[in-house]
Amino acid sequence: MTSTPHLLATRNLIARYGDFQALFSVDFRIGPGEVVALIGANGAGKSTFLRALMGLLPVGRDMVFFEDQPVGGSQPHHMVQLGVAMVPEGRRLFAGMSVEDNLKVAIDHARKTAEKTWTLERIYKLFPILQEKRAAQVEKLSGGQQQMVAIGRALLAQPRLLLCDEISLGLAPKVIREIYEVLPEIAKTGTSIIIVEQDVMLAQRASNRLYCMLEGHITLESLSSDVTRADIAQAYFGAGHEVA
Amino acid sequence: MKWLDALIQGVLLGGMYAQYALGMALMFGVMRLVNIAHGDLVVLLALIGISASVAFGIGPLPLVLILVPLAALIGWSLQKFVLNKVVGADSLPSLIATFGLSIALQNLMLEIWSADTRSMRGGGIESASIDIGGIYIGLLPVLILVAATLLTGGLDLTMHRTRFGRALRAAAADTEAAAMTGVNPRVVYAYATAIAVGILGLSGVFFALRATVSPADGPAQLIYAFEAVIIGGMGSIWGGFVGSMVLGIAQAIGFRIDPGFGTLAGHLVFLTVLATRPQGLMSRG
Ligand SMILES: Nc1ncnc2c1ncn2[C@@H]1O[C@H](COP(=O)(O)OP(=O)(O)OP(=O)(O)O)[C@@H](O)[C@H]1O
Ligand SMILES: [Mg+2]
Repeated sequence: MTSTPHLLATRNLIARYGDFQALFSVDFRIGPGEVVALIGANGAGKSTFLRALMGLLPVGRDMVFFEDQPVGGSQPHHMVQLGVAMVPEGRRLFAGMSVEDNLKVAIDHARKTAEKTWTLERIYKLFPILQEKRAAQVEKLSGGQQQMVAIGRALLAQPRLLLCDEISLGLAPKVIREIYEVLPEIAKTGTSIIIVEQDVMLAQRASNRLYCMLEGHITLESLSSDVTRADIAQAYFGAGHEVA
Repeated sequence: MKWLDALIQGVLLGGMYAQYALGMALMFGVMRLVNIAHGDLVVLLALIGISASVAFGIGPLPLVLILVPLAALIGWSLQKFVLNKVVGADSLPSLIATFGLSIALQNLMLEIWSADTRSMRGGGIESASIDIGGIYIGLLPVLILVAATLLTGGLDLTMHRTRFGRALRAAAADTEAAAMTGVNPRVVYAYATAIAVGILGLSGVFFALRATVSPADGPAQLIYAFEAVIIGGMGSIWGGFVGSMVLGIAQAIGFRIDPGFGTLAGHLVFLTVLATRPQGLMSRG
């Protein structure tokens, strides 16, 4: 194989929970600076896929490649050092700690780089409300503000690849717009982004390419601008589904 | 005067309990790991200290310098080789693992030191006291209280102001989320248990100076530490200290009412707190 411009790729990625197989030979790739959406119904395996990339699930070494190096099954803190960070489903903030302490944990353990793209100041500029609330415990924040902390925390790890798992879930449309407005700014820094979404329109608009997953299989891979609603419906619900 | 004396003696007794409660506040209160061998480790370290002081003729201060690193190493190994294997959402596996360890330690100590009680000579420090207007205050208990206060303050600052403290609180709040933020929870937990047990190296020396020690004394120390942490409130480092004071004062006052009532008074206060303020005195919840 010649040099590929992939930042991250999976080959034949398989993941299971005990006897239950959740991912079936998933082939996926994302280039530097690309925004790739992963869509799919409830239980399709989207979160499982992101967790496998992050090192939170045991997978084979040569199932995940980062800059062509096999890294599957590495510990999460190793993946952070390589440049992968995640905004997990359900936000998963550190309860009992202040906004700023939540962010500082990421600063303390960030990927070691010469120049830090993301600083506390920059996060506060991106989400001014967080500066105002910096001393508040994270449980006291609204859902949208908590999501901002989760995104800020992931960015402060200085990622080259940001994994976002349903960052719009449970938020008001205005807040969703606010949060999605920062994605282009993140991509502009050269960071690649994988966005997992149930809202197909949102995912399509925010991404360069998209994958659709159904019951652990990739059923569609396309440029986001090319894909038709019929293609998506087919891939989303499975073959034989009639488009209304 | 009688009650003022009881109060002062209670605070001093609380200082001793606070030493045990500190490691417990860290492991049980913050990390949600139950270490049933906590009291047995104090006793083990005290017995090692007594034997070492007799064998090599060394005083309490050099002993502390030996026992604290030894205790920290024991704690680190305990976490790395035992507790990190069972760390999870609930406390039950750690309880079972350390329960086994507790029994094993008690048997081992009985084998080595027999059931005799021993104590340590401290060159007069163990019996020195100051007379303040008719109230006798032992120098050693004051020293213990001061040490407990400084350690509690230091550990609280460590938890809130340092990289390590933030990482530990993060890992305790959500181990997986901490890992995806770059923390290696196992390493952080191993250091935390090293600190928790390391403190017991100091407590062991104080224990041996202050009272007599026998291999079966561990469970009582464990109970006081547990009660103190629960009275004070889970997750709060100062909570363990406050809980220890409450326990010490209750016991001292109970003892003045009737010598047989002292220990029971402590347990009754514990039960009262559990029934009326189960989240503990210092908890924000
Ligand atoms: N811890 C687990 N143990 C066993 N099965 C699991 C576990 N987590 C997920 N699963 C199963 O794996 C499959 C994929 O789940 P996953 O959470 O990856 O889906 P998803 O696409 O993220 O769904 P959603 O849109 O609801 O978040 C589902 O069938 C789910 O029931
Ligand atoms: Mg999901």
